[in-house]
Amino acid sequence: MTTLLAPDPLSILGDPGASLSQIMAALTNFEEAGQATRHASVGLSSNATIELLGVFLRKHAALSGVQLTVHQGNFDDPIGDINRFRQGSVEHLVLLPVFDALLPSFEAQLGHLSPESVAAKEAEVIARYRLAFEQASGFRSVFVSSFHRLSSSAEPAAKDAVDASIERLDRALREAAAQFPNIRILDLDAVVTTLGRNAAFDGRFYLRNKAPYTTGFLNELARRIAATSRGFGSYFYKALVLDCDNTLWGGTIGEDLLAGIKLGPYDYPGNVFWQVQNEIAALERSGVLLCLCSKNNPADAEEVFARHPDMVLRDRHLVLKKVNWADKPSNLREIAAELNIGLDSLVFLDDSPFECGAVRAELPMVRTIQVPAALAEFPRVIREIKELFLAGGVTEESRSKTEQYRQRAAADVLKSQFSSNDEYLASLNLRVELSRDAEASLARLSELSQKSNQFNLTTRRYSESDMRRALDCPDTAVYSLVVGDKFGNAGLTGVAVVRWNADTAVVEAFLMSCRVIGRGIEFAIWPAILRDAAAHGCTRIAATYSPSAKNAQVADFWERAGLSPTAAEDGICHYGAEIAGFTCPPTPWIEVIRC
Amino acid sequence: MLNEATLQQVMGAVLNVPPSAIEPNSSMDTIKAWDSLRHMHLVLALEEEFEVAIPDEEAANITSYALIKLVLQDLLKSR
Repeated sequence: MTTLLAPDPLSILGDPGASLSQIMAALTNFEEAGQATRHASVGLSSNATIELLGVFLRKHAALSGVQLTVHQGNFDDPIGDINRFRQGSVEHLVLLPVFDALLPSFEAQLGHLSPESVAAKEAEVIARYRLAFEQASGFRSVFVSSFHRLSSSAEPAAKDAVDASIERLDRALREAAAQFPNIRILDLDAVVTTLGRNAAFDGRFYLRNKAPYTTGFLNELARRIAATSRGFGSYFYKALVLDCDNTLWGGTIGEDLLAGIKLGPYDYPGNVFWQVQNEIAALERSGVLLCLCSKNNPADAEEVFARHPDMVLRDRHLVLKKVNWADKPSNLREIAAELNIGLDSLVFLDDSPFECGAVRAELPMVRTIQVPAALAEFPRVIREIKELFLAGGVTEESRSKTEQYRQRAAADVLKSQFSSNDEYLASLNLRVELSRDAEASLARLSELSQKSNQFNLTTRRYSESDMRRALDCPDTAVYSLVVGDKFGNAGLTGVAVVRWNADTAVVEAFLMSCRVIGRGIEFAIWPAILRDAAAHGCTRIAATYSPSAKNAQVADFWERAGLSPTAAEDGICHYGAEIAGFTCPPTPWIEVIRC
Repeated sequence: MLNEATLQQVMGAVLNVPPSAIEPNSSMDTIKAWDSLRHMHLVLALEEEFEVAIPDEEAANITSYALIKLVLQDLLKSR
């Protein structure tokens, strides 16, 4: 019961395991604390007892930041309810006629009623709901449930009288509803299928209180109503912004190269990403704007989209590409500005907890979704993303807007940019464990030197025996970096090899995994390394940058670090500085731990 | 054993009154919000919270704090 006392009602409401009384208490707290950013109202009208649907609607509204006022209608009086709700300026309406309650135990009666009596009842129901739809045309949205059966058929191979009647009524109601743009049909059969019949209905309370549905059913129905209403009008997403590595394909293009990334229809895990790309391409067809926001060399990403044989997504699907080394919040701001849509219209998908955390912290209005660590969960997450865009309905005119937006974006001038990035970094509790000559990590040190392409100043590859020699050499220090933050530990993700050559500390190699760059770690380690060098009699530091096909992003690294260019030959740039008085850009948000 | 503080919290949450307002002599007659609808919610919530199945014949009758306590104690004992 301790959760009842927990301070944040939203975390209770977001917990699928919360009990009914916990949800009720949390809703009271949420509403009394005035935490909502919007208010909305809904009226419920049914021929069954669905009061608890109101509780779950309030729950799902609260999760979208909306405080929902629920008005309960009278029993089986849709026309009267609609008139009362209209007078009370209620915005949304749920009409939930339960088939079995159209007449007492209608399903049981149907097997022996005369066709004329059945036809007469059906005609009455259709006429009543047609009138209800007309009278409800002033509501912002009207959710009408489809008919479903409570009992399963005793003749599973054939359609019985209940199936036939439900089919006729459903067709008639859907036809009537199609004339009103504010009406959305809720497919209750789909809810029953999701939960299973036994988990959907509770016979005890149906016979006694005319309440056929379990709390599980009502919760799922409420979730769908909230999704269909776009969080009761609290969001309208237009663009899906995608990371590349480990989001659209498995692996890192800059490291694994075109042949090494995982993507394709047949083999795990490439088939997960391939399936995801198919789903995303379908979203584009429905009018969702697709953008890239990826920390990569533009040419590397271009190559995948142009040349990988199993890419489903191609250039023509994308309206905007931000493939660069700038921080993601800045890129998202640019995307919103160039597309001329609000940041609250963006859904951002990325595999990195760091990037997702940065966007959530700086741009809470962006809906940020992380690729699940368990890859088998990815298709389910994609389904949730599809629902964010599609549950509210797709109009014909919004389909394939990509071309139109692409042209507008091309004409727009880039702007924006301001940085609370440092503040965000400070919140991460970043730490680097800096070890010297960590023998136990020999294999990983060698592997990293051979795999890292992008953040690699000299692209000097060390076989295991090369690395062994460096570790054993008394005048050479091999530094390994184990990077961690409040999200967890990224492991050994950086290496620096420094040779103490008389009075000069020569940086033979410096490389980092691109998973951890952009947080200042590349600067934070140098004061400690230079203290070691000074202790070994060095007074100068010397370093080089050797250009490769992949490492353009670090071309100016040594200058940014505070070294001065000393010479350049055959494209290799040399840098140096006196150790005394040398200062790296400060990184007060990083704790460097010597191990 | 039945945790009465938990019982008070569940009843308070469902009946929309502070848990402290749930007293030994509370019943459908003393708490205004406790109607037959809320009573159904209360049975659902109690079953969920205490992980018991309240038999149908009891469910309709436990309309006071004392009766609820009695039935829950029996159910928890026989578990």
